[in-house]
Amino acid sequence: MIGDGAAIVHGAARMTYDVNVVYARNAENLARIVAALKPYKPYLRGVPPGLPFIWDERTLQGGLNFTLTTTIGDVDLLADVPGGGLYEQIVPFTVELEAFGVRCLVVTLDMLIQLKRAAGRPKDLEIIAELQNILENRFVKQPNLLDSQEA
Amino acid sequence: MSADSDLQKPLPYSPNLPPPDFFDPVVEAYKKDVDMTLIRENLKLTVTERFEKHRKLWEFAQELRKAGQRLREGA
Repeated sequence: MIGDGAAIVHGAARMTYDVNVVYARNAENLARIVAALKPYKPYLRGVPPGLPFIWDERTLQGGLNFTLTTTIGDVDLLADVPGGGLYEQIVPFTVELEAFGVRCLVVTLDMLIQLKRAAGRPKDLEIIAELQNILENRFVKQPNLLDSQEA
Repeated sequence: MSADSDLQKPLPYSPNLPPPDFFDPVVEAYKKDVDMTLIRENLKLTVTERFEKHRKLWEFAQELRKAGQRLREGA
């Protein structure tokens, strides 16, 4: 996980309306993603309804980054992240966490700041300031990432 | 600590990008207005609790949005 969802993980006081996920593009993982999202009727976000869009491995294989709307919320599936690259290149800069009983990988606070800066969007300046404040105040020395840890 | 376990530790940041504490005067200008009390409260929570808090805020925002829509439609 990257983006503002990751910022929430690291303690940022932020509202977000989508989840940004970097995914591996091997065939096995594409099949897993298709199966995981299929019940939630994924469709391209922001395009008129009714356009032909088949949610399958072939569609994923034919694209890179997908901005999707689903019945449980909006999801961005990213194969190549500006500044960060592919899944395999980002994984070394992640930590494992548990949320809602599920373990997943989230980018480190440091890397998240770097990715936000690399995105080069003016709207991210505010969140970069917030994340740098968290970093500078060293609140993250012992991040409370696992539910099993005491709050 | 063995060399293997060192390799498994996550790298904090990429050496190929500007460091996370890179000085940007525009970002510095934003920093003074960051509400650190919100962050301190968030950091007392587990990750699941942080997302639960976010979900409640999101639902609250949705309710406000609907109320605004009803107001506009009634006007």
